[in-house]
Amino acid sequence: MDFNDPMLALSSWIGQVSFLIGDFGLGLLWRFIHIVVTLCHIVSGIFEAVESYAISLGLIQKYSSIDIEKLKCLAVVVDIEAARDVSKVVELLQWLTTIGVKQVGLFDSQGLLKKSKDMILEMVPRSVLLQETGEKDTSGIALEFISSSDNKEAVVKAANILFQKYLKSRHPGKDEGENVFTETHLNEALRVVGESVHVPDLLLVYGPVRSHLGFPAWRLRYTEIVHMGSLKYMRYGSLLKAIHKFTGVRQNYGV
Amino acid sequence: MREHVGKSSKLFNGFTSIMRRFIFKVLCVGPIPNHISFIMDGNRRFAKKHNLQGPDAGHRAGFVSVTYVLQYCQEIGVPYVTLYAFGIDNFKREPEEVKCMMDLMLEKIELTIDQAISGNLKDLKVIFAGDLNLLNERLKVAAQSLMELTEQNRGLVAVVIVAYSTSHEIVQAIRESCVRKCVDGDSPLVLEMSDVEECMYTSIVPDPDLVIRSGGIDRLSNFMTWQSSRSLLHTTAALWPELGLWHLVWAILKFQRMHDYLQKKKKQKLD
Repeated sequence: MDFNDPMLALSSWIGQVSFLIGDFGLGLLWRFIHIVVTLCHIVSGIFEAVESYAISLGLIQKYSSIDIEKLKCLAVVVDIEAARDVSKVVELLQWLTTIGVKQVGLFDSQGLLKKSKDMILEMVPRSVLLQETGEKDTSGIALEFISSSDNKEAVVKAANILFQKYLKSRHPGKDEGENVFTETHLNEALRVVGESVHVPDLLLVYGPVRSHLGFPAWRLRYTEIVHMGSLKYMRYGSLLKAIHKFTGVRQNYGV
Repeated sequence: MREHVGKSSKLFNGFTSIMRRFIFKVLCVGPIPNHISFIMDGNRRFAKKHNLQGPDAGHRAGFVSVTYVLQYCQEIGVPYVTLYAFGIDNFKREPEEVKCMMDLMLEKIELTIDQAISGNLKDLKVIFAGDLNLLNERLKVAAQSLMELTEQNRGLVAVVIVAYSTSHEIVQAIRESCVRKCVDGDSPLVLEMSDVEECMYTSIVPDPDLVIRSGGIDRLSNFMTWQSSRSLLHTTAALWPELGLWHLVWAILKFQRMHDYLQKKKKQKLD
């Protein structure tokens, strides 16, 4: 028997054990880092909650007056689980009415809020559907209900309208046809299929993460996107702060 | 003395490299984003903050960040990275600044071509996406050369987005899909979503898992709003040239915390 065989086996065994401990150690370290990150989020959440209550009580001067005229169109994205609790959505809308917001687009990916539209309109004082107000000034709040079907599907429907225009405008011997492929034409086509093309100034996301969750891409171009946390634990002060921060934003639109 | 300083510097670099790789090894215990998009904002503010002279000074500093970010993503094992380098709206800037940015891009592409030829790119594949017809001829040709040179590379795919906006992309994708439908006589004259999506500039990469914007701004600025339905949007106050290792690590840690939720959203029918 070769003396090297057991040595090689031992060396390999040590290597494997070291490898395993290394992996286990790395895993522990990773979990520890995430515990620290979570603690940081908890602490920052506590500070935000305290600040929010201070804002609600009017203790922080700068939030006592907001130039709400700057906020022409607000959109709210609600996570599906939160959208099932219509009462919280109604409460949020009541807060927005108090602040003076005139136009709100409510989005959830599966259209649960669309289905509860009548209930919401009934429960929110002086609220009307945006389509019914048009450009008329209203003392209340104009609501729009949006879902994922108003995103890519709607663009494809509008694209087919442009396609038909393109086919009609093609002349024999000239492949290109009229240029119906401009942003203006797409806006028009989206209106024809019943979509709003208003670009929200501010998008508030109520859910676990900062993600627009499929809000109509065509309308999201220069929108400020703010994560508000869970709808269940929403705070009036945080809402005021987000809107106030928006009113201080200066956009240069890439220029 | 110089030799001593050089040796210490090498030792220090070696030590930081080992530490960095160790940090990445720990990070990789958890899920890593398949595709990270970067909105590289803040170059001009950086130049102003540090009193740098010249209209492209901030952008030159920004390019250094690009090299580090690509290196880190490569070491972490992120398969796709998208860099929003120049938007269509940016053409509205002062002509002198636009020219400087185009010249800088050309300079850096030519530098990268040299590195590709000398085999220093570490298997990096570079793709340019956007309306490249809006670029000047020389830049277009250089971009094309770099893409051809790195086409066979199988490492990190770095997509440089230039002359782009989501609205322009959607309109051009519709136009292109209409033309293709007409050319293809067999299929019915109705556009499907897949027809439009496969004509998009960014159809070459999967949707981003994580979109990181530097410069403290909370907007997407007409960047990949179509593709980012299920992306975690992360903003950092650091200006792009200031973006470093810890900003990237923090963003990925945040992604890992939210990974289960994001996966759930991907499985739900959003579109």
